[in-house]
Formats: sequence, C-alpha cells, structure tokens
Amino acid sequence: MNILDILLQQSPALIVATPLLGAFLTPLIGKLGYNVRNIFIIIILAVTAFLVFLLASDVFSGNIHTYVFGGTTSTVLSNTVIRILFEVDGLSIFMAIITVILSLAAVIYSWAFMREETGQDKYYTLLLLMTTGMFGMVLTGDLFNFFVFLEITSIASCALIAFWTHKAKAVEAAFNYMVISTIGALFVLLSIAFLYGKYDALNIAKLASRITPVSFSFIDKLSLILLLAALTMKAGIAPMHMWLPDAYGRAPASISIILVGATQASLYGVFRICFTLYGNVIQIPEVSLGWIMVILGLITMLIGVFMAMIQIDFKKLIAYGALAELGYMFLGVGTGLTILSNPQLSLASNSFALQAMKGGIFHIINDALDVGLLFLVAGAVYYATKESSLNNLGGIARNMKYTTVFFLIGLLAVSGIPPMNGFASKLLIYESVYQLNPILAIIAILASIMLLAIMVKVFYSAFLGPKIDRFQDIREAPKSMLIAMGILASLIIFFGLFPDLIVNTLVEPAVKAITHPTSYILWLTGGV
Amino acid sequence: MDIGTVSITILTVIFGAIGVTLFGIIIGLLYKGIDRKIAAHMQGRVGPPIRQPFLDVIKLFVKENIVPDNAIPWVFHLAPIIGLIASITILLYLPIGGFPAVLDGIITSKGDLILLLYLLIIPSLALVTGGFSSGSPYAIVGAQREMATMIAYEFPLAIIIVTIAWRLSLMQNVSHVFTLSTITSIPLWNILGPLGFIGMILLLLTLIIVTPAELSKIPFDAPEAETEIAGGLLVEYSGRNLAMFYLTDAVKTVAMGSIIIALFFPYNLSPILSMNGYPAYIIDFLFYLLKLFLVILFSVTLIRVGVARLKIDQIVYTYWVPLTLLALIGLICIMWDQTIMTQFGIPSVVEILGLT
Amino acid sequence: MFEQLLKTFDTGNGYWNPLVWGFAFLIIFLIIYILRGRGNPSYKRGTEQTKVFLSGNPEYENKELLHVKASNLYWGWVESTKWVINTLKKMHTGRANDYILWFTFMIAIFMLLLGVI
Repeated sequence: MNILDILLQQSPALIVATPLLGAFLTPLIGKLGYNVRNIFIIIILAVTAFLVFLLASDVFSGNIHTYVFGGTTSTVLSNTVIRILFEVDGLSIFMAIITVILSLAAVIYSWAFMREETGQDKYYTLLLLMTTGMFGMVLTGDLFNFFVFLEITSIASCALIAFWTHKAKAVEAAFNYMVISTIGALFVLLSIAFLYGKYDALNIAKLASRITPVSFSFIDKLSLILLLAALTMKAGIAPMHMWLPDAYGRAPASISIILVGATQASLYGVFRICFTLYGNVIQIPEVSLGWIMVILGLITMLIGVFMAMIQIDFKKLIAYGALAELGYMFLGVGTGLTILSNPQLSLASNSFALQAMKGGIFHIINDALDVGLLFLVAGAVYYATKESSLNNLGGIARNMKYTTVFFLIGLLAVSGIPPMNGFASKLLIYESVYQLNPILAIIAILASIMLLAIMVKVFYSAFLGPKIDRFQDIREAPKSMLIAMGILASLIIFFGLFPDLIVNTLVEPAVKAITHPTSYILWLTGGV
Repeated sequence: MDIGTVSITILTVIFGAIGVTLFGIIIGLLYKGIDRKIAAHMQGRVGPPIRQPFLDVIKLFVKENIVPDNAIPWVFHLAPIIGLIASITILLYLPIGGFPAVLDGIITSKGDLILLLYLLIIPSLALVTGGFSSGSPYAIVGAQREMATMIAYEFPLAIIIVTIAWRLSLMQNVSHVFTLSTITSIPLWNILGPLGFIGMILLLLTLIIVTPAELSKIPFDAPEAETEIAGGLLVEYSGRNLAMFYLTDAVKTVAMGSIIIALFFPYNLSPILSMNGYPAYIIDFLFYLLKLFLVILFSVTLIRVGVARLKIDQIVYTYWVPLTLLALIGLICIMWDQTIMTQFGIPSVVEILGLT
Repeated sequence: MFEQLLKTFDTGNGYWNPLVWGFAFLIIFLIIYILRGRGNPSYKRGTEQTKVFLSGNPEYENKELLHVKASNLYWGWVESTKWVINTLKKMHTGRANDYILWFTFMIAIFMLLLGVI
C-alpha cells in the first residue's frame, strides 16, 4: 500500500483536519513574521487542495468514499453506537472543489489586500475555520455533524463580516447575519432532534433508508419544512435573502468570495435533504417540492436583478447579482426535482429534467467563479481608491488596466455572454426548463439580460469616463491580488471554452449523485 | 475525429468566414441604400442613389479617426471592431437562400436560437460600451438608453423564441428543437391549427415590431436621437471607427432579417418549381433576397417613415406591457392549439386550405 | 483527450461549440483588422478636435462633473417599473425583526403547501 493509497483512504478526514490544524497554528506561526505566516497558510490550503483533487479522482471513477471516525463501517451499522461518518459522493466532492478554489483565491488575494490591517492572525484563523466548516458541511454523512459544521461556518463568517469593526454598517450586517444564522441553525437542530427521536439515527444514509412511504408522517413533514426553510434562508433564497446583500457587501472582498462558497454549502444542504434524506419518499405527492423550488428560484432571480438595478454600492450591487444567480441553480435543480418526484413521469422519457439539473449544478461552480471574480475586482477598486460608492468612482480604467480586463471577463461571464462559462450553464438551463413551462425559460433569459445591463452600469461608472483628479495617482492592484483574479479569470475562460469536458467530468457525477440517491443510501447494506 | 475532419473543418470555417463577411457587408449596404431610397420616395424626396452607403463608408475611411481626450482609447477602438465581428459571426449560423448555414455541414455546430439571441446582444453591447467609453455626456445618455431599450425588447423576443421551440418539442421524433436547421425543416405554419395560426401571426407581428429596436431605428432610436442628444452614443465617433459601426448596422440588418425569414418564412421556391442543381440555388438565393427585402421593407422602412420617436420610458412600457401581452397571447394560443386540435378533431390550417 | 476537447456541447436541444465560434471570430477579426487598417488612422492630438462635444458649451474645469453618475443611469427603465421597485424597496428594511418575520412567513407558506396545517 503506497502513500497515495493511505492518503486517499484518510483524505475525507484530512481535508477537514488540515485547515483546522492550520487555523489553530496560525497565531503561533504568526509570531514568526508576516510572510512566513502567509506562506504557511497558502501551503495548508494547497495541501488541502491536493487532497481534494486526490479524493475527487477516486470519486469521479464511480466510488462513494466513506470514512468513520473511531470505527469501521460495521460500527455505524449497529444501532447502539453513534459515530461521526463522512460520506463523499459526486455532489459532495463537487462542492469541495468549489470551496477549495474559492478559499485559495481568497488567501492569495488577502496577502496584499490585508497587508495594512491589524488583527491579521485572527483574520486568518477565522478564515481557515470557515473553510473547515464548509468542507465539513459538504463532506459529512451525519446530520448532527452537519449542524455542527454549519455553526462553525456561521460563527466564523459572522466574525469576519464584522472584521472592519470601525464601520458601523459592517457590524450591523454581521449582527443581522448572526441573528439569522442562529435562528436558522436552531431550527435545523430542532428538526434533527425530531428525526432522531423518531428514527433513532443521525446518519443521513441510515435515516434516509428508514424514512419510507410507510413510515412517513407528520413529524417527517415538519422536519422537512424546518430544514428546508432554515437552509434556504442560509442559502439566501428570496424572500429570506435580505441579510445576504448586506453581509456580502460589508465584508472585506476576500471574505465575500468565501461567503459565496458558504451560501452554496447551504444550498448543498438543501439538495442533500430533498434528494437524499427524503430520497425514498420523493414521490409522495405531498412532498412536491419541485415546483416550490422553481417558483422560489424565479422570485430570487427577479428580486435580485430588480434590486441590483438601483444599487449604487459596488459590492452590494454584485451581491444582488449573486442573488439572481442563485435563482438559476434553484430553477435548474427544481425542474429536475419536479420530474423526479412525479410518479407518472420517468426520468428516461423526460431527458430535459436531467439536462436542467446538469445546468443547475454546473451553474453553481460558474457562479462561484464569476461572482467571486467580480467581488475580488470590487475589492481591488476599493483598495486603490478607498471608494465603494459607484457615484464617486470613474475613469479608473486608465490606471488599472488588468483589473479592468478582469472585470470585463467577469461581466461577460456573469451575464452569460458567449463564449464565457456562464453562457454554457445558462444555455443548458434555458434549453431544458422551457419544457416544464415556457414561461420559466423566458423569465430566466430576461433576468440574464438585466444582469448584463447591471454589470455594464458598473463597468461604465467605475472604470470608464473622463479623468478624475482625485484618482490621478492611483496604481494598479498589487501582484497577489492580480494573481488571485487571474486564477479565477483563466478558470472562467477554460470552463467557457470546454463546457462539454467540464460537464462530463465534474457535473455528471454530481447529477448522478442526486438522481440516484439509492447508491448513497445503500452503501450501508451493500458494504464498502 | 481524425485529422482529415479537423482540417476540413478549419478550411470550411476560413472560407465560410471570408464569404460571409463579404456577403454581409455588400448585401447589408445595398439594402441600406434601398431603404433610404424608398423612405425618400415616401416622403416625396428624390433621395440618394442606391450606392450611397458604399460611398459613405469609403468617405468615412478617408476621414480622420478622432480619439477624444475623455475616452479610454483601447475600449474606444475595440468596441466597434468587436461589434462588427460578432454581427458577422451570426451569419455563419444562418441558412441563406437554398444554402444551409456555413457551420451546419461538416461539424455539428449548428445554429442555436438562444446562441443567436446572445450573439445579437454583442453588437449592441459593443455599441453601448463604445458610447460609455467615449466620455461625452451625450454618448453616455445614449448608451444607457440603448441598454434600457435592450432590456425592454428582449422580453417579447425571448417569448417568441421559446414559444417556437416549445411547440416543436411537442412533436414526435424531433430533437434539438432550438437548432435552426430543425426549425427551418418543419415550418410551424404547416402543422398548426386555426388557433395556433392566429398565435403565430401575433408572434410575427411582435417580432416585426421588435426588429426596429434591435436595429435602433425610429421609433425606437432614442439612443441615437439626433435632434435631442446629437447622435447619442455615436457622437464622439468619427472616421474608420464610425465606419465600423455603420457596417455593423448594415450586417445586423441582414442577420435580423435572415432570422425572421428562418423562423417564419423558411420556404424555398425550388421544390415548388421542381428544380435542382445550380438553377435551384440561384432561384432560391434570389427568392431569399426578395424575402429579405420584404422583411426590411415592413419592419424597418415603413415603420420608420410612418411613426415618430418614442421617449425612453415609453419604449420600455411599449415592450414590457402591450407587446409582451401580445406575445403572451400568441404563446397561449399556440399552447392551447394542440389540445383543441385533438379534442375537437380540427385539422391544421394547411389541410383546411388544401395545400398539402 | 484531444477529441474530448473538440467535442460540441450538446444540451439535448441545441448545440454550442465555443472553439469553432472562437476560430471564426479570429478569422473575421483578421479580415476586419486588415479592412480597418486601410482607413485613415491620424488625427490632430491636443487640438480643439479632441475636446468633448457639448453643443458649443464650454467644458467644465472639473471633469468629474462630466461623468454621469451611476444613480442616474437607466432612468427610462426605472421610471416605467417604478411600482415594482418601490414595492421591493419597502420590503428591504434592513432590520433583523423583519428578516425573522419573512422566515416565519416562509415556514407558514411551506406548511400550507405541504399540508401540515
């Protein structure tokens, strides 16, 4: 057994443990100096990235990877013993890849972006904790464990949103976020308690195998509702989205980009619950979540674009744009769920449902890259000019050429203009959801055009226009920030030029994971 | 995919690109001339000669290419080029006359309606970016109006495109319904019943009113509005950059006209006259030019001479309320058509007229 | 691998091949660039020519005043969708109480839709 095999076997635990260890070592290493600490953190995340891709290569070959803390799979099987269990399938690893890309970009970006700030040790510790929480959320196979990691993510991100404590609005946004996420998490805990009380299990796979149409009752429905409401709120789905633009907009840019990942981890929770935890009862007519998801997606999209149209704060505007993007994911996956949950329709004869889900899932990673890039650009503009209101900016394309080009790439990608990556996923969504109802595709197209208008407005008012004396001497963003933006921009272009490759390698396994929940559930009896 | 296919693909793209560029620019300018001549006659003027647009372009090439102080030079120069290229690439996906689209044959890169919708955005986007980058208040006002107009007309346009694809997706054994070659091979007029026929007419009407906005012609030319904002987003452009925008407009007219033809009038003369070979190509191409002329006459010339310019908020209102409603009624008619046809056994319009 | 890179993206309802489009774009770019190169590239720098056109009015000393502010953009669109935007603005109060209220509201909606109450 060579070292790679051992690493692969232990990787689910290591992916979470490495950043956690890094988080607690950071204050110590911080004593050694600025550069040492930053290199240490980048190495920590690079190691994590290596482990994620190692695990991904195994999961993409069709395996579901499990890891039981302090035991073997048979330990979990017995009723009396409770063990934390990590279960990694296509969807989990897909989300883990997003998390690792975003956090790496954020850390590289922070090198220069945070140089002037005090309290950097705390910043990096919290950042790594937040990453740990996100990895835990997407990799865990245990419902209570999911709640724990959800809380870790919330607490760390809450503190990071308020990182600029001298700004009253940042503190306010953090407070609102804290209230929202605590209440949401309590409801998650409550419904976990309901489920535990009824089924005597916390393991997602075990619970899912016990929630059957026969056993399905009031308690299951109530838990489903509470879980769904709390997690959609944490994912920022309208009309429970109001915390999101504030939180995204007031946090430092390098945190906003990780927050994108954190909301998507909650989105992952929604999908996991709808498709896997309630996978056996998906066809009970009362649990017709598909249309609810679709409608919520449409509302989110429209509210996002309408509100973004009138924003004048750079980052808040992008945050509303990100909100609209969330709607597309819900629209795509919801369409798939509608067909899956209808006992009269089969997935085979309605291949559009599969395509819609592919589009929705593909859009998750595209959104992370596009919106992430835009946030980083917004941060770079703030770094150079110390202005965040679009009304006070103008003409900085003269001084910041690379940043302008990166913004342009982000603009085209987020509004889905060919040949960027956003176009590929939106094309998949448009060309499948119309079969459920033509109106869905029409509204999706409209929202994407409005997104274009919104981003063009930013492009004009921040980058174009006559020379402004105040900005005569501003300089291009520092190298580390350009590198972080460059990584995201090149990924955007790569995804845009080879959509077929990405869909086949990354997205297909994730879609398979949610359309075939039985393989996730049945590893218990099937054995690994 | 072996090396032979790849090299044939590359050659097709190269020659197709050259051919389409020439075709788009020449036909576009020619129709611009015809349009101006007819408009002049309708207003009781003699009008310029038909070759006037060619002369205009040549003259613009001779003129100085001024870059204003307030402009961001690289954006200012790049915008017109990108716009022109994007509008030419649209033609690569469109069937022209009896010829299939350039990219149809060897590779499976057929034209896709959603793709065309987005490619049509790029020239407008280039125009907007160019206007914004020139740093003149007039240009900026014009550019933001163009963007608002764009949001406005995409709504009914999206309804038209999705409706047609949706109706095709109901048919048996039809896949890839957004592909233009599928749409042109099954004209919807042939399969719809009376109700759907009315719906189709409503959609066509909407598309004809969307076209002038897509091409920023009166009554939807608030972005350029010579009388109030002095040419709007083009105010700072001159010389060869302006010529690029002039050509973009010409090519876009051909592209938009060809899309209308492909969606609504994909018929050719040669099957009716039972011709084949070269004569068929020639007669189909001439017939295509005639169709294009009629489309431009009705959607551009007649409307632009007949009515006055709307205010920008009126434009948004026009598209989002009356025209969207019109298109939605069309959509509903077409959605109900299938049910009503099967329920009451009503034959399709073509069968009623005995044309099959 | 090479073949996979060249494959057309098939959505089941349409095709999209970015590489072919990009290649065609490059070819046309070359043609247009050559065509454009035949035009006159010169202009008189620093003269009256390059001043902004303001219908003969003098240009402001402070150029920032020439920059149309972000909040003034898309007037026509905002004007004709005022009622939507004003309703939405009222929804976004920015108070945590209201956020929780919306959350409760959504739970109620879910309960109604899933038939719990």
